[in-house]
Amino acid sequence: MSTEAPAPTDWGPEVEELRRRRTYATALGGEEAVARHRERGRLTIRERVAGLVDSGSFQEVGTLTGQGKYDGAALTGVQPAPYVMGLASIDGRPVAVGGEDFTIRGGSSWSGDRKKGGQGGFVEDLAASYRIPLVNLIDGAGGSVTSINKRGHAVFPGVHGFERSVELLGKVPVVCAVLGTAAGGPAGRAILSHWSVMVDGISQVFAAGPPVVERSLGQKLTKEELGGPQVAVDLAGTIDNRVDTEENCFAQVKRFLSYMPSNVWEMPPEVACTDPVDRCDEELLSIVPRDRRRPYNMRKLIEHVVDRGSVFEIQPTYGKGLITVLARMNGKVVGVIANNPMVYGGAMDVKAARKQIHFVELCDCFHIPLVFLVDVPGFMVGRDAEAAATLREGMRAVYVGLQASVPMYTVVIRKCYGMAGMGTTDKNGLDLKIAWPSAEWGSLPIEGGVAAAFRRDIAGAADPKAREREIEDELRSMASPFRTAEAFGVEEIIDPRETRPYLCRFIDAAQARLRTTLGPKAKYGVRP
Amino acid sequence: MATIQIKAEVAGSVWKIVTAIGDTVEPGGTLMILESMKMEIPVIAEDGGKVEKFTVAETEAVNEGQVVAVLTK
Repeated sequence: MSTEAPAPTDWGPEVEELRRRRTYATALGGEEAVARHRERGRLTIRERVAGLVDSGSFQEVGTLTGQGKYDGAALTGVQPAPYVMGLASIDGRPVAVGGEDFTIRGGSSWSGDRKKGGQGGFVEDLAASYRIPLVNLIDGAGGSVTSINKRGHAVFPGVHGFERSVELLGKVPVVCAVLGTAAGGPAGRAILSHWSVMVDGISQVFAAGPPVVERSLGQKLTKEELGGPQVAVDLAGTIDNRVDTEENCFAQVKRFLSYMPSNVWEMPPEVACTDPVDRCDEELLSIVPRDRRRPYNMRKLIEHVVDRGSVFEIQPTYGKGLITVLARMNGKVVGVIANNPMVYGGAMDVKAARKQIHFVELCDCFHIPLVFLVDVPGFMVGRDAEAAATLREGMRAVYVGLQASVPMYTVVIRKCYGMAGMGTTDKNGLDLKIAWPSAEWGSLPIEGGVAAAFRRDIAGAADPKAREREIEDELRSMASPFRTAEAFGVEEIIDPRETRPYLCRFIDAAQARLRTTLGPKAKYGVRP
Repeated sequence: MATIQIKAEVAGSVWKIVTAIGDTVEPGGTLMILESMKMEIPVIAEDGGKVEKFTVAETEAVNEGQVVAVLTK
């Protein structure tokens, strides 16, 4: 009688090996490394994916990737590749999702036959090929000089894959969440997104970390001082939004995607609107003070106009002279750009201009109509503003607005002056400009403008101050918005309370235009 | 007791200080008014508190991000 086991008649043993290999994958960097990661207040990449996507929807791709360990021909273990990715769904819609596994070599790059993700790779091919959104959960240290040792040569900077990351920005929504310390490649990847977010306490992002900075410049800084949210989000606007916990981060990512179509060939998702379209809030009649020197709360104004509870603010802590929000009107997605009179009277500085450029391009790319709530005295003035190239960055904002082809609505709340004012109009489209009775406009504000234009007249008067005031009063009486409306220089003056129904009506009517002009948008020319 | 530094969101000059040392300010209450770009910009105590001291005086110029008052709560 033979002692040998009977030859298997099915693929049971291989399926058993598959099960074992899958177990190695879910073990990530091993118990110890995972425990250390958790102690630092961070979720593992698998917990992150599970926290983000619809329950049970994650279909992993590349589960078996890694470095196998063998005893002769027998498998003894696998160190998984430090990147986990696949197909999942968010709110029932398919998405490509992936992220570095920090518990394995700090989530540094891995060289298989095909890249999984990070910068290009399968997960980005999936998003591009199937035209579905991409969510990057970034927690990787990027390149390391130790790879020279391994390869015997220095790697030329950049990898194939970054061109894919760029291509995606014109095709599908790309969200990057920075969930650890990102430097180099992963930091760069985070920027190539439509919207990015980081978590207080656990996330930092920079071109290079403290050791490199100390060696290069002699500056001793902590990771947090160099690239924590106070720098990267509030001060620099490198990353768009900050949140307090990873759980909130996932909620915000979902929220952002809820305003986005799956790709540029589809309409942004419309929802049933429970907020009456004809809601005319009484507060709007008095929200703008009659005293021109006194500002008001523009965020409250926005809430009165758009669908209740639909506001999602992009970059709330950066470039505070401008407010950019995604919202809905009669259930349809709109982008609202509003000047904030609380910050430099709403004047456009470099930061506000940058913020407007990105937001206009975002909305234009995904066929989201723009509503401008205008209260802009012009570009920011003064030595600091000139030294910061406000004029150039401001004209970039104007240029990008004039290139955009999505329908735009101009609602002049108060001031609308100069180039910055022109940048709020839809010159490529219907150019519909409506105004509140509190509106005022011109090439430049009358104060200051008078002193320059009537210098000789004023200087020659017996009482120059009185003469200046006299001219100002005379001009101001002609600056009434009703006079411009007579000339059809502005299409309509409305009761502020009518803003919501008026805009909803036109945004509803623009849907046919949007439906028939879907697809990617080619951009020509050179941004100044 | 926490100390809260109140910073100016904009550069400008102090136009009017509308609270006094020792006052208790409600969350969202106005501490002082700056003049900036020909506008009256309120300096707001987001979380409220008791006014400990002012670090600026009326008519003085302030920079963006400069501490203008200290509150305790």
